[in-house]
Amino acid sequence: MNDLGTHLLLFAALSAVIVLMSCFFSEAEDGPALRAFPKRLIVYFIGCGILTGLLLLFEHTLASVS
Amino acid sequence: MTSFPSRRPSTQPSGDPTVATLLTWLLPGAGHFYIGRAGFGLAAFVLVQGLYLLGLKLSGGMGFEFLQAELRSLLAPALAPELGNLGALVYHVREYGFGPGFPRPFPDTIVLGSTLTAVSGVLNICLMCHAHFEARLPKQQSSGSRSPALAVLAAWAVPGLGHFLQGRRLRALLVFVGLVGLLVLGTWLAEGSNLSRERHYYYWGGQVMGGLPALLLESLWGGRVVGAPIPYAEGGLVIASVAGMLNILAMLDVFGWSEARYLAGSEPAAEAGAAAAGGEASA
Repeated sequence: MNDLGTHLLLFAALSAVIVLMSCFFSEAEDGPALRAFPKRLIVYFIGCGILTGLLLLFEHTLASVS
Repeated sequence: MTSFPSRRPSTQPSGDPTVATLLTWLLPGAGHFYIGRAGFGLAAFVLVQGLYLLGLKLSGGMGFEFLQAELRSLLAPALAPELGNLGALVYHVREYGFGPGFPRPFPDTIVLGSTLTAVSGVLNICLMCHAHFEARLPKQQSSGSRSPALAVLAAWAVPGLGHFLQGRRLRALLVFVGLVGLLVLGTWLAEGSNLSRERHYYYWGGQVMGGLPALLLESLWGGRVVGAPIPYAEGGLVIASVAGMLNILAMLDVFGWSEARYLAGSEPAAEAGAAAAGGEASA
């Protein structure tokens, strides 16, 4: 985990493009699409955060092999 | 009140869009024959099917032998861009399959051949878009250069180009920077190890949806020998593959935009036709 910062940076870059494309796909006009971007990005981060938490929880409980 | 049947032969669609699309999927150009555009259908058949057959020739039909033994199954080849050209894919699987069952040397031109079969699949997807849209238009009418299929082809060829041609410059720029940026970032992280269909069969299929930039990167940095562990090989592979797959969203976006614009532009003509028919009925 020494390079956690790099991983987070790469995750942020990839997330930004994924969310941007989802905004463009759901909104035909640029204005509404770009206005929706920050909220969608935050929701995406929160969703990924919850998923990460659940994965870590299962890794240390139900799926623990140690 | 007596109702009169509408007499507007020119507004009748050329055919069923679903049938035209499925026919094109099975055999490039067949959908265009079905809607009465035999010349276009023949040219499309020669181009798309010819590309696949050339690819088969150059690769010796060994494209699916890239798959490792444990990944080989009946539907395994279907998770590739070749799926866009179903008839050719079925022929490929039946005629060549996974080879004789033991490893053998690949021909020197297998990378080019395998790329051509994949590109044939992508081109046929654009052809399916074309057949679907043209089938909805009245007979004797063609969308020509305003066809949504052209925008889809441009969007695949260079991420953002489809948007650019539609006049959506800001979106084009953001799509290009975002997707090509991710392709380059992924390739840089993986040190070019991601650019090999032999090494990463399915991820390569995702990357190739990034169009010419992905193919250009492969021609520049693909096929390199990996002599030492690459710290971010997997991360780079995933990022580049996701970039290509996100371009599918861009292709859908440009199709929807062109389709809506074209149909909106056709509305006055349709209304005029309806008014004329109404006038005839009243008379």
